Amino acid sequence: MKGNIVLGTLAMLGLIGAVLFVSLNELNRMQTAESAYDARAVETGALEFESRCRPCHGPQGRGTPLAPALNTASLFDGTRLQAAGYAGTVEDFVRGTIAAGRPIPSAGTNYPNRMPTWGEKFGGPLRDDSVDSLTAFIMNWEDRALAEAAATPEVPLAESVGNDIAQTLPAGARGKTLAEGSLGCSACHVLTATGPAWAGDGTTTGIGTRAAARIDEAGYLGGAKTPEQYLLESIVDPNALVVSGFQPSIMPGTYGTRMTPQDAADVIAYMLSFK
Amino acid sequence: MAIFRLYLPFLDDVKAKGLKTAVKNKYEDVVTRVTTGMNSNDVRMLLRDDPVGRPNPRLKPHTESFWFHIKPTYYNQLMDGFYPTFRLGWLSTYFFVFEIITGIYLMIFYTPSPVVAYENMRNILSNVPYGDLMRDLHKLGAEAMVAVVALHMLRTFVTGSYKKPRQFIWLTGIILLGVTLFLSFSGYLLPWDQLSLWAVTIGASMVEAFPPQIVGTTLNLLVRGAPEFGAGGLLRFYLLHVVLLPAVGVIALSVHYYKVVIHGHSLPPESEAVGEDTAKRVPMENRVYFMPKIITRELFYATGLTGLMILLSAFIYNAPPLEAHADPLVTPLHITSPWYFLWLQGMLKIGDKVLWGVILPTGLIGMILLLPYFEVGPSRRYGARRIGLSAAAMSVATLAVLSFMGSPWYKVTSSPDQEAVAALAPQTHPGPLREAPWDQLAFGTYSASEWAAAPTPALQKLLRIFDEELIGAVGPEQRDAEAIMVVEDWQTDLKKVTLRVVWTNPDGSPYEFSQSVYLHRDSEYGGG
Repeated sequence: MKGNIVLGTLAMLGLIGAVLFVSLNELNRMQTAESAYDARAVETGALEFESRCRPCHGPQGRGTPLAPALNTASLFDGTRLQAAGYAGTVEDFVRGTIAAGRPIPSAGTNYPNRMPTWGEKFGGPLRDDSVDSLTAFIMNWEDRALAEAAATPEVPLAESVGNDIAQTLPAGARGKTLAEGSLGCSACHVLTATGPAWAGDGTTTGIGTRAAARIDEAGYLGGAKTPEQYLLESIVDPNALVVSGFQPSIMPGTYGTRMTPQDAADVIAYMLSFK
Repeated sequence: MAIFRLYLPFLDDVKAKGLKTAVKNKYEDVVTRVTTGMNSNDVRMLLRDDPVGRPNPRLKPHTESFWFHIKPTYYNQLMDGFYPTFRLGWLSTYFFVFEIITGIYLMIFYTPSPVVAYENMRNILSNVPYGDLMRDLHKLGAEAMVAVVALHMLRTFVTGSYKKPRQFIWLTGIILLGVTLFLSFSGYLLPWDQLSLWAVTIGASMVEAFPPQIVGTTLNLLVRGAPEFGAGGLLRFYLLHVVLLPAVGVIALSVHYYKVVIHGHSLPPESEAVGEDTAKRVPMENRVYFMPKIITRELFYATGLTGLMILLSAFIYNAPPLEAHADPLVTPLHITSPWYFLWLQGMLKIGDKVLWGVILPTGLIGMILLLPYFEVGPSRRYGARRIGLSAAAMSVATLAVLSFMGSPWYKVTSSPDQEAVAALAPQTHPGPLREAPWDQLAFGTYSASEWAAAPTPALQKLLRIFDEELIGAVGPEQRDAEAIMVVEDWQTDLKKVTLRVVWTNPDGSPYEFSQSVYLHRDSEYGGG
């Protein structure tokens, strides 16, 4: 009985002590938890980016002909905000663009598609927290993108391939890297059904075989004499022949000025390897 | 003439007897009112355990006070030891109150909507003072409550305390067990992360199997508010958790305890003759009075236990960390229902969902509920109840086996590549990769079989796990299976870790499975 009272008093003191001890570190703990959850948002955003954004904005957000680079100084130094006539912060601009998409292109750009709406509120598939995570991930490029721009001067573009499909191209080798990387071909021709798939499946042959057959078809009105020429024509002048089942002008018409002859040779060699 | 005159008898008292006496009288008056009948001297004598005179002032609170009127005035000395109650009934009540208090604290910061529930959880854990502590306490208390209530039931069965005249106490007790389980289960959904959504989905899928189909579909709609969990389901589970189940709990608990007091706590079986119930006839020399013995002890238990819970939650126990936001389209690998429903998941693996998941459990629960009305053997002695006690032991063993069968270790078929990757980066908890020290994940490409050559201890450990898990999981067709781990620099403070498993299929074609995990320097998975 007396023991109980003594023990109870000690227990009460211990209880108060424990709460006080927790209090000592509570502010610190809250800060750590806050930064931990911000960090986890970046991780979630990275996963989300790989599946939703990379097909158009390219690996590491380096940009493709379909969509502008995000991992670049112009997004963070205000150039892009100015082009879009946006007066808020970069973060709000990124979040707003992801959630609501872009109804009109920025001045001076000519991307084939508008940025679609991704936010649930605007009819897209992403919840608010996913949009926030993506924003956190994209904003995390800021330091490196600005530092990189400060370190590397603008390099003039090499000679471009042009529109002459009869020219002789060098031997090609690194087409897969280009197609999946900076040129972004695989975004539409492999990952989505936006354009004809290069790889064959059970019913159709690969693009290499199809290219050879296409130039002999009755409906073909282009100027190509060989499969290589046909493919170069399709790249630099996409509307020369629009394969049935697809709309004209989906493919950007600017590849002729963006690719060097070596690039073109590489990609064509790669395409021809799909039998 | 004033319309309103302030009349304070205390002032008259001061005038008549002087300030000191008046204050002393007032103090005595307040103490007597608060204790419903004991003055300060009675309280002092109570705390010192001095012998008490007649009339006994310590009995007055039992008739006058709301809080004490339901408590027995005295207990039988035979009930005073650790055996036969093990204090389990008292502990169940303690945890019920404990959960209500910690739950109210969490309720203040929580909105039951899929749009903000997860964000609210983040806020509770990172922006609310003591929020993390309260969540840990609430979760630890809930786990303890389930265990304590189940043990209380087992004890009641073993000592035969459910027998006449206490059948109805047993019945309300089973209702309370159900309330406890469903309180815990409904609370599971509220954080609205992947773990909670899918664990509860597994449990709730049983409702849909209820035959005939129209009943199952309707019940499912009632429980989830829609064919799948969403805004409606979350709100319903929240209301179950904070309104309906606690209300049923309070009512059932009141009836349960009222009946216990009416019939008296059942004595140890060996202390009375077969067929007799002497709980209400306590001889003078065997009485232990509630005041002061029991009340001081219960106060000590309550403070001690609360202190222990706080220490455990602050330094040892962590509630499961918040997983990714709930996503009805992505089922995590190896998700299980909460541990106290694993036996049910185990039964589902045996066979038909309707038979094993609905009919059998419902029948069992009905049988347990009505047990004292058909198990009417007069003796409570252990020796006379060999069949009953064996059945109880068998049931406990069966529950343990079924619970094991419900876990991912039993009969879960998934491919070796996924198993090996999930061993490092599981989808239901952080796991070794996320908890590894970030700085030690050096950039490069590593082969798991050459784990000893990895540059840092953390990488060696991870690669070794990867290698052993893959070797343990592959069948004879994938002998050349190889596990590869690639660590890349992805962004400021962000690394990309790709786990890849490759092998050659029997037809000679290459097979590859890979999964990427992004890790931020500050994500603190190890910190819980």
